[in-house]
Amino acid sequence: MALETLLLRFRGPVSFLIIVLVWQIVASLQLVPEKYFPGIPAIASSFWTMLLSGELLTGDGLTLMRALIGLAGSVVIGVSLAILSDVSPVFRAGFQPIAALVQPIPPAALVPMAVFMLGLGAKLYAFIIILVTVWPPYLNGVAALAATGDVPMKTGRMLGLSDRDILFRIKLPAAMPEIFSGIRYAATISLIAVVVSEMLAGHDGLGFMLIRKAFATKIPDVYALMFVCALNGALINWLVNRARWQMTGWHIRMTERTP
Amino acid sequence: MKSLRSRFDVNGLVLPVILLLIWQVLAWRANTPLFPGPLQVAQSIAKLYPAILGELGHTLLRAAVSFVVAAVIFIPLGILLGRLRLLGALLEPAIDMLATLPPPAVVPIVMLFAGTGDGAKIVIIAYAAAVPLLMNTYEASRTIHPAANQVARVLNLTRLEAMWHIDLPASLPMIATGIRLAVSSALLVSVTSEMLLATNGIGVLIQRQQENFQIAGGLAAITFISLAGLIINSLVFEFEKRWLFWHYQGAGASGRGQTS
Repeated sequence: MALETLLLRFRGPVSFLIIVLVWQIVASLQLVPEKYFPGIPAIASSFWTMLLSGELLTGDGLTLMRALIGLAGSVVIGVSLAILSDVSPVFRAGFQPIAALVQPIPPAALVPMAVFMLGLGAKLYAFIIILVTVWPPYLNGVAALAATGDVPMKTGRMLGLSDRDILFRIKLPAAMPEIFSGIRYAATISLIAVVVSEMLAGHDGLGFMLIRKAFATKIPDVYALMFVCALNGALINWLVNRARWQMTGWHIRMTERTP
Repeated sequence: MKSLRSRFDVNGLVLPVILLLIWQVLAWRANTPLFPGPLQVAQSIAKLYPAILGELGHTLLRAAVSFVVAAVIFIPLGILLGRLRLLGALLEPAIDMLATLPPPAVVPIVMLFAGTGDGAKIVIIAYAAAVPLLMNTYEASRTIHPAANQVARVLNLTRLEAMWHIDLPASLPMIATGIRLAVSSALLVSVTSEMLLATNGIGVLIQRQQENFQIAGGLAAITFISLAGLIINSLVFEFEKRWLFWHYQGAGASGRGQTS
């Protein structure tokens, strides 16, 4: 039992170690040519050289920056659209079919078209990321704003709040937890969208590095970059979770009591 | 059918029509083939639709095969991990990390092992679909009500029987959410993978149109992708409502959110 609790307490590192071990065993068995499936030391050393030369930090910094700025933009736009939908039925009725149509479009399909309309710069990234990540916050926001309970609304009315006050002081805070679960989903897709656009139309950033290293068959570098991609995801998740705690800590404390 | 009628009321037409008009006016003012308006896109649709439908068929077929592969492997795996608590808890951070690795980042590696053919694309798409399936199934079977487990013990079910008769049905609503996410991400990634590993499919068609500066043609293809996605998503939702009616009866329509 003691071993079990010890394992569970450090399950993050343990999990990481299991992956590393399995990886190394598969690599040493030479089931796949070592050229395509290098061992952990090779990957770690190419990670280290890329880190020291600074290309990793600049590339990853660019990618993360794009993802975060795009995410922030799409959260602002998505929540504003949700509020607008809540206020105006005409807007909601018109915007819903548009959302349903634009949502299933893959970011990759948009890149080639957008290159001509927007060029290869920051505008392209902003357009792609926002168009892809705006939906989860918007959809969750609309659903949550519409589902605000009757009691808080009537309480607000009784206290003489205006429509605007009810919206911003009752409905929006009540919708926050659900909006945040949309933001968490959007954070993951924003990274995907950035990497895809960098792969298809970029000249810097993580996605571009991945493609370039793959075509130069620097395989350990590619694996190291993939590891960085996963780290990015963890980082952006952590950031969103921090923000979520700040803004909706009351809700989390309320629900986490029932594990 | 009632929902279809109410969705097409007059209010719903105001905003799309205004947006289309603005787009058309902007396109007329720009007056270049690089910024086509809705009219040019409609013309391209009329001209290109046989080719687009054919390529879309390739894409959808590949997405479907990959989705089935992912479902067959990862739903049982998720239930298994949810059942074997220690293993599940130990591997949970690993799954979380895998979930944050964007599918396109896998493309260069898969390219090495499987080339650029159908196999490679199926692996990539299946990976993309696997993440929501695995996470939702694992989460669902881990949080099954303890009473259900006690029933299994009372009935003297073996581990395997318990997984099949109790864990699977009890996790179905959450698995269904995972399936919905997996289907849409399979669609997204199948187009992406075609553009990176070009052979055939609608992604290639879009790229070819771009290379010939036929932006309107590319937009026409995108229109078809979005329609296909819309139809498939609503079909999945219909099936879900039909098969999981017992869940929706109890919980209302609240099962429609994202993953937790």
